[in-house]
Amino acid sequence: MKRKIVLLPAAVFSVFIFIFTVMFIITPKADYSSSEKRYLEDFPETSLSSVTNGEFEKGFESYLADHFPLRNMWVGLNAYCNYCIGNNGCDGVYKCSDGWLINKPITTDNRIKTNTDTIIKFSKSAGVPVTMMTAPSTGYIMADKLPAVHDEYIDDYVFGDIKKSLKKEGIGFVDIRQKFKNSTEQLYYKTDHHWTSEGAYEAYEEVCRALGVKAANRDFYDIKTYPDFYGTTYSTSGFWLTKPDEIAVWHNKNHKPGDIKLTITEGNESKAYDTLFFDNHLKEDDKYPVFIDGNHALETITNKNVRKGRLLVIKDSFAHTLAPFLADSFRKVTLVDVRYYKNSVTDLVRQGKYDRVLVMYGIDNFATDTDLAWLK
Amino acid sequence: MVFSSLIFLFLYLPLVLLVYYIVPRRGRNIFLFFINLVFYGWGEPMLVLLMLVSILINYAGGYFVEKFRNDKGKARISLAVTCVLDIGILGFFKYTPLIVITLNSILPLNIPVPEIALPIGISFYTFQTMSYVIDVYRDDAPVSKSLINFGTYVALFPQLIAGPIVRYKDVAYQLSHREETLEQFNKGVKLFLVGLGKKVLIANQMGAMWDAMLANTEPNGVLGNWIGIFGYTFQIYFDFSGYSDMACGLGNMLGFEFLKNFNYPYISKTVTEFWRRWHISLSTWFREYVYIPLGGNRRGVPRQIINLLIVWFCTGLWHGASYNFILWGMYYGIILIIEKFLLKNLLEKLPSAIGHIYTIFVFVFGWVIFYFEDMGKMGEFIAGLFDFSQGIISHQAAVVACRYAVITVAAVIASTPLMASLYKKLMDKRFMWILETAFCVIILLTATAATVNQSYNPFLYFRF
Repeated sequence: MKRKIVLLPAAVFSVFIFIFTVMFIITPKADYSSSEKRYLEDFPETSLSSVTNGEFEKGFESYLADHFPLRNMWVGLNAYCNYCIGNNGCDGVYKCSDGWLINKPITTDNRIKTNTDTIIKFSKSAGVPVTMMTAPSTGYIMADKLPAVHDEYIDDYVFGDIKKSLKKEGIGFVDIRQKFKNSTEQLYYKTDHHWTSEGAYEAYEEVCRALGVKAANRDFYDIKTYPDFYGTTYSTSGFWLTKPDEIAVWHNKNHKPGDIKLTITEGNESKAYDTLFFDNHLKEDDKYPVFIDGNHALETITNKNVRKGRLLVIKDSFAHTLAPFLADSFRKVTLVDVRYYKNSVTDLVRQGKYDRVLVMYGIDNFATDTDLAWLK
Repeated sequence: MVFSSLIFLFLYLPLVLLVYYIVPRRGRNIFLFFINLVFYGWGEPMLVLLMLVSILINYAGGYFVEKFRNDKGKARISLAVTCVLDIGILGFFKYTPLIVITLNSILPLNIPVPEIALPIGISFYTFQTMSYVIDVYRDDAPVSKSLINFGTYVALFPQLIAGPIVRYKDVAYQLSHREETLEQFNKGVKLFLVGLGKKVLIANQMGAMWDAMLANTEPNGVLGNWIGIFGYTFQIYFDFSGYSDMACGLGNMLGFEFLKNFNYPYISKTVTEFWRRWHISLSTWFREYVYIPLGGNRRGVPRQIINLLIVWFCTGLWHGASYNFILWGMYYGIILIIEKFLLKNLLEKLPSAIGHIYTIFVFVFGWVIFYFEDMGKMGEFIAGLFDFSQGIISHQAAVVACRYAVITVAAVIASTPLMASLYKKLMDKRFMWILETAFCVIILLTATAATVNQSYNPFLYFRF
């Protein structure tokens, strides 16, 4: 008996590698991973040339990694193992207290200076006043949730630098750091890098103050919350046991049907809607596009209840939650995403007779974005 | 293909083992021969042709050396032609760019530097094939009667791309007479998993620590830089010795026994001892086929010193076609000469702690030279190891060090024979199979998880 049992490691090993080989071969392959929110690799092209130049082999290895049996379990196991040996954040996300997952900070070798210079250059040709607002990083605001060992969140330096450069050129900067730091509400999602509707609302109040318009009162809104929102931070982290967020949608009670019109333009095609919220996305893995249908090149909101004000927003996705609020203070709000909109924004300002421009980015995006260089 | 990849672990290896044990014994070498080529050609199929040419040249070389056994002159010519071809192929594929760059810089020339992709493992298998012809010439090994057996030896996938450098005479008998047993297979599985753990769980993590230190945007500070280079020190040891363990383990699974390639080099008390424990198959090769033929220590001290310098120049150059590797080789050559002729007695008298500290300093510093191909960056980094004006440790570096603290401690422990001696003590205990199996399961699960995640998986010795 004893002699046989010592061979158990060999048996375990053989069974293990064989089972996964067989499972890989016979299991049906999914196209999409809902926990990682991405499309999985397709089977690589098979041809003599793709095999001889190594492309097939490379593609096949990615295919194997993406379709490996129980992939989610392995990714999670890896994340939690690293966490247990004190290597929190090795895949770019810190597992923090109270169920917070927070992206690691931006580094000092970023594109902030370049991007700020682009904004300054743009403001000189825009012909209307330009104001900028950046959303602080989650880790900076929620510092008390971070693990003991973490890289430094450099928002204070970065905000200071941007503010100084813009001030010299007479461009306004809406600094929401203090307000956010003092707030007791949940301003960011725990599993996503975006701010919540609450965060966007508090930022909205500050923007209105800076632009000299009246902000809609908090009581005007009817808040509906939806459960089970897992954001992108969650998807990249592998910490699958984290609790989901709730996503809150703020509907203005005073809007009557037909008051609001949203036009989404993509290339030469435009589509009009009479709502700012797209409930169909609430059933999907990524629920954040519930706000104005997510990323598009150009989106225009008009609100009949507001008499005047035409605002153009150059933005990233942080503005999606903010835009519905802005629409309650401006007759017309247009959002331009320079990642997709490659025409001249200066022309757009002139043609649309906008009174002013707001530049709205999350600081992490602003530090890494390369598309702003196209802004003209 | 690398061992710590999904494709190897969960497609290639299971299929190879399955077929290998189904095929009757006399067909196994033929099967191995072809499956080796699949392993080698995966990703770069054209290189298989080069390997086949190399196999043919050396097989023919051995044949002619044997044929002219009684005609010394012709046998010698056969040997010389084979070696020149071997070194020529290695030189062409590995050193052409370096030679061109050197010529351009010392002569008023401007030859465009050719882009030649280094065939994987060429440095390893060239040394193996050369050992064959030389051993046949010296009558230390029998000539191979079967081209398939010889091809199987050269291309044997366990040691094909990163060693150990198995000499033909050590496996000649096994090639035709091995008998696979379950015990040996079991031993191989355990050794393979030890190697896989070293590679995936320690080397990759230590490498990530070193890379993170290098990527930091502010100066790391003196301590930060030392922690970083210690990370690299552990990475290269666990990477390479892990690979050797996996190779030996896979060899066992197929019924082969290879010689040990690493014997806890980091516990050495002298640099001489370090090189007796580090990459043993390479040092043995250079001793047997370069140092001793040059006359070794039999022709007086000045000649011995020259011989040592030649060997260490070659050792450095073998590691890569870049000046820093030559510098690294000469660095060891000089230190070993000093130890041999001056420090030997002194080091023996000193307390062993001092010997350890001295040796650790020498090899860690050696890895600095080994890592930086750019001399300017090397100088900058060396300055950073002693320049206290950059502070002791930056916040960024401290964060990195803390994140990898647990693995670093594990690496320190695993660099010593501590666990091995504990294992020896427990080996005969009744419950040992439980521990062994548990250990295997843990490595299998964690290493698979890390491999599926695929974040970081280089093989350092791939380029050599």
